[in-house]
Amino acid sequence: MIVASGAPGDPPNGGSAWQYERADDEVGRGKIELSDVSVGYGDETVLEDLSLQVERGDFLCVEGPSGAGKTTLLRLLYGSLLPRAGVAVVDGVDLGSLRPRHVSRFRRRLGCVFQSDELLPHLTARQNVLLPLQLAQMAIDEPDERADQALEMVGLADKAGTVPPELSGGQQQRVAIARAIAHEPSILLADEPTGNLDAVSTADVMHAFQAFHQEGGTVIMATHDESLRDTYARRVIRIAPRRGRAA
Amino acid sequence: MSLWPLRYIGTLGAYSWRWQRRRMSSWLATAVVLGVVLSVAAAVQLVVWLGERSLAGQLQSASEMQVFVTDAATADQQAALQAKLTNVSGVSRVTFRSKAQAAARAARDPQLAPLAGASEGNPFPASFVLEMRDPGVAQRVLHTVSGDPSVDPKIPASYTAAQAHQLSSALGAMRVIAVVLDVVALGVGAVVALALLRGEVRARKEELRILTLVGVPRPIIRVPLVVQVLSVAVAGSGLAVLSLLYIGQHVVPAIDQSLPFLRLGDPRDAFGTLAVGTVAASCAALVPCALLVRLPR
Repeated sequence: MIVASGAPGDPPNGGSAWQYERADDEVGRGKIELSDVSVGYGDETVLEDLSLQVERGDFLCVEGPSGAGKTTLLRLLYGSLLPRAGVAVVDGVDLGSLRPRHVSRFRRRLGCVFQSDELLPHLTARQNVLLPLQLAQMAIDEPDERADQALEMVGLADKAGTVPPELSGGQQQRVAIARAIAHEPSILLADEPTGNLDAVSTADVMHAFQAFHQEGGTVIMATHDESLRDTYARRVIRIAPRRGRAA
Repeated sequence: MSLWPLRYIGTLGAYSWRWQRRRMSSWLATAVVLGVVLSVAAAVQLVVWLGERSLAGQLQSASEMQVFVTDAATADQQAALQAKLTNVSGVSRVTFRSKAQAAARAARDPQLAPLAGASEGNPFPASFVLEMRDPGVAQRVLHTVSGDPSVDPKIPASYTAAQAHQLSSALGAMRVIAVVLDVVALGVGAVVALALLRGEVRARKEELRILTLVGVPRPIIRVPLVVQVLSVAVAGSGLAVLSLLYIGQHVVPAIDQSLPFLRLGDPRDAFGTLAVGTVAASCAALVPCALLVRLPR
């Protein structure tokens, strides 16, 4: 039996028992469990009967051809798509019973990085990390220090006052990673984070992921790059087109 | 004591300001369009309000209906008539005006004074003066006094029920016109504001997506939109109030001078009510737009 949150035996996401603040050793923290999950868009089912188990501290690469459903899998994991069938539990939260008003609270437990850096060009690197942190994590302590620590972790402490157009592609992506990890999520989801980068920038970005991983975080990364997969991933799953099942 | 709520409100306020500041030109254009629409509505509202007041003044004098008493009526008949009039629903007060009092009033009236001077004796009849809550009550009064021996059968009252009905209808129609104009103006304003908000959401799609992905609650994401329409509503209403002041100071006196029978009068006491009403109504119409506009998921 998969327990969504709280003590074993509690109902999954049981109303007010769903708490944002959770102890580090809480059941399911940093874990992902998918069991016979189907998900898709409209009438189309993109992933079918997908089963997957990720332990805390794992570094998982998701590979597969274009259109196989890697992005769909990540969208499922951050609550943008809901499972049509099966059971999906991410960081202790049963996505099947996740209420719409709880989605934003759920996402605050995750970090997301995408292929396009999606930084706000008019804000400095530090402000890009700080603003979502301040708006999303209402009662967070010392947000400025956390933003600075996150930038330091990705090696961009000296670029804190620089605006994105003045940063290289790799630096911009590292700012996006800093933004994704500043609130200390247990799981970091990344969709082709190095897709647009050269080799040097890719290495810098991957070091940032590694730093997060070494702190005990779980990393799920979709990528086409086999060298990244071989160098950094502890596990690799392949999604076959149309009918997905983790190998 | 934790200061995070204050800090959070400060951050949100700063973000909302920054949100607005970056697209000041579209904000300004929307505020001007809204201001023009509200100015037209407020100006019409002012003229209608003044016209209504002028008409209400006429109605007030019309509401003082007189039931004329024949010279032959005895004191008992007069007392019985007064009792009947007092019992008519909608009549708030009944007072007796003697022939002498009527003649004295006529002498003070510039239109009736020549008649009073030219006649021998006192041609003005005694009457019961009725204060009615609505001119429409006149019909019931006329029905009640019909056939009463103490009432003058040729001219029983100072005006007919049809006249009262016409006045009452005219007043009602003016109110309806004013309300319809207000609703149309606010509807146009809401459509303009909605267009602005949709443009803002489109322009900041990526920003909103980032905020959504990092878990910013959707009500919080809407705050800058609410602040934006509120500021547009206040700015547009401000323009409308300025227009209103200009119209009140220059246009209304000109209308009164060229069309004296309208007697729109002094608009100053209408300004406060119309200004507050314009600001409140535009805010009430526009804020729901910010709550209804669709955000990226």
